[in-house]
Amino acid sequence: MKRLIFALLVFSMLLAACAPKSDSATADFDLADWDSVLAAADGQTVTWYMWGGSDSINAYVDNFYGVALKERYNVTLNRVPVADAADYINQVLSEKEAGVENGAVDLMWINGENFFTLKQAEMLYADWAQAIPNSAFVDWGNPAINRDFGEPVEDLESPWSSAQFQFIYDSARMDADSLPRSYADLATWACEHPGRFTYIAPGPGAFQGTRFVKGALFEISGDAAQWGTVDEALWDEWSPKVWDYFNKFKTCLWREGETYPKDEYELHSLFANNEVDFSITQAIVGAGALIDEGLVPTTSRAFVFDNYMIGDFNYVAIPSNASNKAAALVLANLILDPEFQAAQVLPENGFGLGFGIDVTRVTDPDQVAVLEDALANLGEAATPAEDMAKSLVGDAASPYQSMVEEGWRENVLIGQ
Amino acid sequence: MKKLLIWIALLAPLLTLGLFALSKGWFYPEPFPAQLTPEAFSRLISDTRTLKAIIDSLLLAVLVSLLSLIIGYPAARAIGTQDFPAKKYVWLAIFLPTVVPPLAIGMGMSILALQTGLSGTPFGIILAHIVPTLPYTVFTLAGVFARYDENYEYQALALGASPTRIFFAITLHLLAPGLAVAGLFAFLISWSQYLLTLLVGGGRVLTLPVLLFSAVSGGNPTTISALSLLFLAPPVLIIAATARFLGENPNSVHERI
Repeated sequence: MKRLIFALLVFSMLLAACAPKSDSATADFDLADWDSVLAAADGQTVTWYMWGGSDSINAYVDNFYGVALKERYNVTLNRVPVADAADYINQVLSEKEAGVENGAVDLMWINGENFFTLKQAEMLYADWAQAIPNSAFVDWGNPAINRDFGEPVEDLESPWSSAQFQFIYDSARMDADSLPRSYADLATWACEHPGRFTYIAPGPGAFQGTRFVKGALFEISGDAAQWGTVDEALWDEWSPKVWDYFNKFKTCLWREGETYPKDEYELHSLFANNEVDFSITQAIVGAGALIDEGLVPTTSRAFVFDNYMIGDFNYVAIPSNASNKAAALVLANLILDPEFQAAQVLPENGFGLGFGIDVTRVTDPDQVAVLEDALANLGEAATPAEDMAKSLVGDAASPYQSMVEEGWRENVLIGQ
Repeated sequence: MKKLLIWIALLAPLLTLGLFALSKGWFYPEPFPAQLTPEAFSRLISDTRTLKAIIDSLLLAVLVSLLSLIIGYPAARAIGTQDFPAKKYVWLAIFLPTVVPPLAIGMGMSILALQTGLSGTPFGIILAHIVPTLPYTVFTLAGVFARYDENYEYQALALGASPTRIFFAITLHLLAPGLAVAGLFAFLISWSQYLLTLLVGGGRVLTLPVLLFSAVSGGNPTTISALSLLFLAPPVLIIAATARFLGENPNSVHERI
């Protein structure tokens, strides 16, 4: 009996020792008074959950934001690398279900799919994105910014960077003149080169594939803007033509269209190992960051079609139960600093996605110079800026996301 | 000849991993990497996050194996040496965690851990890991106990040895190979646990498998191979170190006297 009591004692001591340390009372701050936010953030650790599959992005985050946070604001960055953004969405949703008030997540890198989920669950810290000082650089009037995958942002998240759909080819294998420049061209090219093209299967977590199919919807219907609002009749009119388009050249695809790569990295690997001739990217530096990471050949270059290349922004959001909101705000603000916006587009820094801010809103001459200098040094693996601008279109309204994914699955993957 | 084939079958995948880990931008149709560089390893080893993940994973796995042995020992002894009513159902209860999909129990455990404040704590993760490791330790130890002759203990008792002395001098001595195998099982299962660590740890405790899965999602063969080799090293070293025990039939306790 004595031994049992002893064992229980040890057990409860272990429990007590391991119980989570309650955060020292979160200092109060007033968002309207930025100094009070900085004071509250002083000494905090901001836990940033983000997809951690890219060494170069991880290094960029640690070396740029991590160092600056510590030096300037005495904030420690704890970057949590996760295999899939859905994992931390689940964490936040589980915390909601369990009623946890001091959540593990302070900041999250999310895109429209996850944003929609968290917004519906009402788990996002509200009314902050336009209150942080550097949001003055953000063009909140731009529908591409105030809507995320078509869903109104409503001050619940703040932009980090921009992305635009592009293709990658290997300049050692192909001549720039022989590249397809439209979806119509692409189908012809694919059947002239059987097995040398494939795309990412559209579906949850594979938005790049969905985006590729949406581009075809835009081109076939001849207009991107009309898809900005949901219109069932329009969808019923054009979607069968889109499935026709994909089914027509399905057998010309890699493995005759029976299977498709599931994400960008599988496609990069097929491309790098000479199984197919095109990959895709969303980065402003084109293939630059991928070359540096050794994922694609050094002769890889990016290009776009003449039109219908969907561009959008990606964001950071704060869960409503975040333990260190002040530090998360400081980090979200730092991300928008022109100095770091310039750093993130340079291929050698490893991030490579585009500006989240509107550079014309920056007035400080030194900062303007830094931004211009960055734009001039995107590297030779980037798509020429004028091609990017000419082909840029906004995304379709958010319900089309799942309509495209389900329609493609039923009519192209399984059907016919 | 047969031995050589086995060695090739065992080592070939490791060599491929090694080549990938030392390469950068190694693509088909190049038969070998154009250049070998230890860059990936030096990057991982100089990264405090990776080092901490290795140490944390090791500590967790060792603690989980010890606790599994301590908790599993009485159950295994009862099942292996006694006959009692409803023994079948006790077996079933112990084996349930191996039958139910980990995701199903993981989600529940995650909520439970959040409610009890154990989420994100090493202790919570240890408890979570014990769920899948326990069936294996009990199963292995029960097999050992089935052939265990309790008369050695009675003999010692008759000669006046204290229960503590009997445990250390007789029981532990006779069971050592079986305990090593059972502990090794628990270690391996805990060491390779991804889902439960993620669900109960909520990202606050980063183990090597969590880093590995995150790297795999990025598809960089160099990083993935280097991390995989780091992941493989401790189990391989431990198996090599305990090969003396593993070589013997862990069920035969008599031969050791």
